[in-house]
Parts: sequence; structure tokens; C-alpha cells
Amino acid sequence: MSAVGAAMLDIKDLTGGYGRVQILNGANLSVQRGQIVALLGGNGTGKSTLLKAASGLIRPWGGSITFAGTRIDAMRPDAIVRAGLVQVTQGKETFPGMTVEENLLLGAYVVKDRARRNAALERVYDYFPILRDKRHQPSGGLSGGQLQMVCIGRGLMSSPSMIMLDEPSAALAPQIVMGIFQTIHRIARDGMTVLMVEQNVRMALLLASYGYVIKDGMIHIEGPSEHLINDDNVRLSYLGGTVANREAKL
Amino acid sequence: MLDYFVDPIIIGVSIGMVYGLVALGISLIYSGLDIVHFAHGEIYMFGAFIGLTLFQKLALPYVPTLLLAIVLTGLLGMFIERVFYRRLTSGGGGYTVAGMAMVVSGFGMSILLQNIAFLIWGPKALPFPVPHGMPIEIGDLALPMSYVWIIGTALVLMTALHLVLKKTMIGLAMRAVAYNKDIAYLSGINVPLMISLTFGVACALGAAAGVLIGPINYVQVQMGIGILVKAFAAAVVGGFGSLPGAVLGGVLVGVVESLGAGFISGTYKDVYAFVLLIIVLMVRPAGILGVSIKMKA
Repeated sequence: MSAVGAAMLDIKDLTGGYGRVQILNGANLSVQRGQIVALLGGNGTGKSTLLKAASGLIRPWGGSITFAGTRIDAMRPDAIVRAGLVQVTQGKETFPGMTVEENLLLGAYVVKDRARRNAALERVYDYFPILRDKRHQPSGGLSGGQLQMVCIGRGLMSSPSMIMLDEPSAALAPQIVMGIFQTIHRIARDGMTVLMVEQNVRMALLLASYGYVIKDGMIHIEGPSEHLINDDNVRLSYLGGTVANREAKL
Repeated sequence: MLDYFVDPIIIGVSIGMVYGLVALGISLIYSGLDIVHFAHGEIYMFGAFIGLTLFQKLALPYVPTLLLAIVLTGLLGMFIERVFYRRLTSGGGGYTVAGMAMVVSGFGMSILLQNIAFLIWGPKALPFPVPHGMPIEIGDLALPMSYVWIIGTALVLMTALHLVLKKTMIGLAMRAVAYNKDIAYLSGINVPLMISLTFGVACALGAAAGVLIGPINYVQVQMGIGILVKAFAAAVVGGFGSLPGAVLGGVLVGVVESLGAGFISGTYKDVYAFVLLIIVLMVRPAGILGVSIKMKA
């Protein structure tokens, strides 16, 4: 693996699931500081479960999750946010009775200093200028793309050192997806470590430097993106047909 | 002629505010914890008894009595939720799966609290004599100060709740938890703490209602049963889970009851609230301000 720095997130032999249904069967995954890593796989393979285990929403059954040198697998989700690891869930869920700005401010709940909260708010508005125009509107009336911006923005509000995005492109029009991906690229360039789960494999691999393919709750294939994108298995399973020219896409 | 109406309406509004405060608590708990809390009448009863004890044994003035009773009952509520209810609601991995066990437990808690109150304060209906001073005279009307206190205090508390939920980070967090506990968690909110707080605030409002009604009615062990039914009627009329709805429903129930007792017959005082409830359910089953968004302040 092409190590860029110290491992930010290190997941080892992770098992877990819901109730009695086991989803994760010993997954291993590692994200280096400053990297964008893509986690790919079909429906029901354990992508979201893995993220939820990392963010503390579900308690893993076994294995370990280490973030920035600290074991986080027994910590509550709010403590994990305070440690600097934030998850943006799938489904573009906001608090619809609240304005865009209130939604964003809640993301900075762990930040007690008002000036720092406002600085974070400005940064989010800088990434997503449209949200500044809509700041006083209830989030319930936003379009899908804007909802996704609120969700990602809310995730950035606590100024985490790493963000995990669960299908940021799901159910969005291609142009919107392009915009969101460009912003993710910008966020990463500004120093954020990113782990993103995607169904949109080609786009994800164009953005990420490293990729994992998960199958039946285990990491099936892993490698640098340019290898994965040319890997016959990945191509056959997820990309379908020929692979488009990389430069033309981004 | 008009005076015939003004008097029962003012009385109805003030009693309705008491219903509204209890209904607010029930709605807060329902939206925040997904629990229909059947012991909330007993929280109101405990608030009244705690207030009475502070007022008589410690000889505190009325306002400190009110505030202290609110705080103590809030803490009692947080204790009850943490020790008894939480384990029942966390079975599904969160706080959202509150099944039949929770409902039965609420009724059990209601009986338990009645018996504890019986052991502490006895079976007798106790007076809560507060010297509020002479009635205010408005034209031909003589409005007893107890009613003014009820309306004034209830308005202050409701405004305070509204401002906290709307303007403070804690209030935003409480609403966030009511709406979606997972997303609230991922925003870094201490969800269990917010649940405790929500329950505590709901119980505090119930206690305020109890201390406010004390000077008008007697304070007694069974006083929670009647209010629970009225408060539920109020909450449903206003739209179950809606906070402004709870207040509106409370006032409507109070006024309808008071007008009915004044102009039809006092014997059937308790019937009017339910006639109103049935009519509202027939015309608008979700309640007047029926909500899709929880804890909308």
C-alpha cells in the first residue's frame, strides 16, 4: 500500500451485524491521513454497516477500530465525533423542521466556542455557496442535491480530521453528482481525510487514490484506484462494459 | 350579557393552561422519547405535594416554592426515566422501540407513585392556601388572583420553553434528538443526556401545573387521574406531539368545559371535554395542529 502518512483509521477483523444477522465477517481496512479512500460493493455487502460500526451507531461484535491511535470501537457516537471522526449517512436526512443554518449549527454541537462555530459555518458556505442563500429556509423544502450539501456541511461543522460519506451520489442527477464530487475533492485537498462508500464505482475511483471492494462482509479486492479501475474483476462486477477514459471524466 | 361569558371563559382559559402544561409534558415525552407516558398525572400530583410541603414546612414564598417544586420534580422525573423506563425503550438498540412493556410500565409507575404519595402525605385532600391577595376588579368582574397567577406563570413557562427550543443549542439538540436519534448522535449530540433533559423538562412542566392548581383545588393523591385524561384529550385535540397544539388543546378543553358547566350543567363537567375530543377526532383526526415534524416549537 502506498502509505502517505500515519494510518488515520485502522479497522481489523471487524465482525458485526444487526440482531442475530451477521453482516461483517472480518473486514480489514485502513485509511491513511490525507487520503481519499473508496469503499465499493453491491447492495447488502456490508458497506454501510462498516461505516456505522466506525461511527459508533452499531457496536461491533469483534475486531478492532482504531482512529488516530485510539481504540474507538466501544465509544459512543458523540464521543467519536468529538475525537474527530464524522459520518454522513446515506439518505440525505436533515432535521426538516429547522432552517438550513440550524441544521448546520447542530453539526458543530461539540464546538462550544461561538466564534469557532461561525468560522466553521463560513467555511461550509464557502464550499456550498447555495446554502448561504438558503440559510434561513427550512431544510424540508430543499432539493435532493441541496439536502446532500446540508448533510455533508453538517458533517464538516465540527471540523473533524476525517469524514466518512455514505453514498454521496445516491439518487442525484449526474450534474449534481459532479458538483458534489468536485467539492469532496476540494475538501480533501484542504486537508480532510475521506472514506467514501459508493455505488457509483467509476466516479469514486476517479476521485479516490485507493479503493476497497467489499463482498459478503469481507474485503474482497483492494488496491490503488488506477489498478482497480483496470482490474478485470472490478470491471466485470461493477463497472460493466468498457472503462471510460479517466482524464475525460474529471 | 357579555359578562356572563367573560367570567367562565377566563376561568376556562386558566384551567386550560393547567391542562396545557400537563399536555405539553406528554407531547414532549412522546416526541422526544416515543413514549406515551401514562404516569404523567402522578408527576403533576407529586409536583403539587412537593410544592405544598415546601410552602408549609419550609414556609417558602410562592415563587420560590414554584421554582423549587419544578426543579425537584424534574429531577424525580429524570430519575424515573433513567432507572425504570430507559431499559425498556433501549431494547431495540435505540430509544425508539417502546412497545407494550413501556405502556404497562407507565401504568405501573402511576400506581406506584400514588401509593408512595399516600404513604408520605396520607389520604386526605389537603388545602394549599396561598395568600395571593384581593381579586382584580375589571369592570363588574372580580377575577381571583389565583387565575391571574396561573395564566401568567403558564405563559412565562411556555414562552421560556419555546425560546429554549428555538434559540439555544441545547434546545436545537433536544429537537434533533426528537427527530432522528442516529443523526443527532452523528452530529456529536449526547443523545442519552438530551433524553434525560427532555423527560425532566416535561415533568417540570407537570409540577408547575400541580403547584398552580393547588390554591384552587385541593391537593390529593388521586388528583393525577383526572388531569391525565383531560391532558390527553387536550393533546389529541391539539394534535398529538405538537407543542403549540398541546397548549391550544388545553385551552379549548378548559373553555369548553367551563362554558358547558356554566350554561348547560355542572354535573356533566367532565363530559364536555370528551364531546369536544370526539368532534375533533371526527372532523380532523390528526388534531387541530396535527404534525408531521416532531417537537416543532
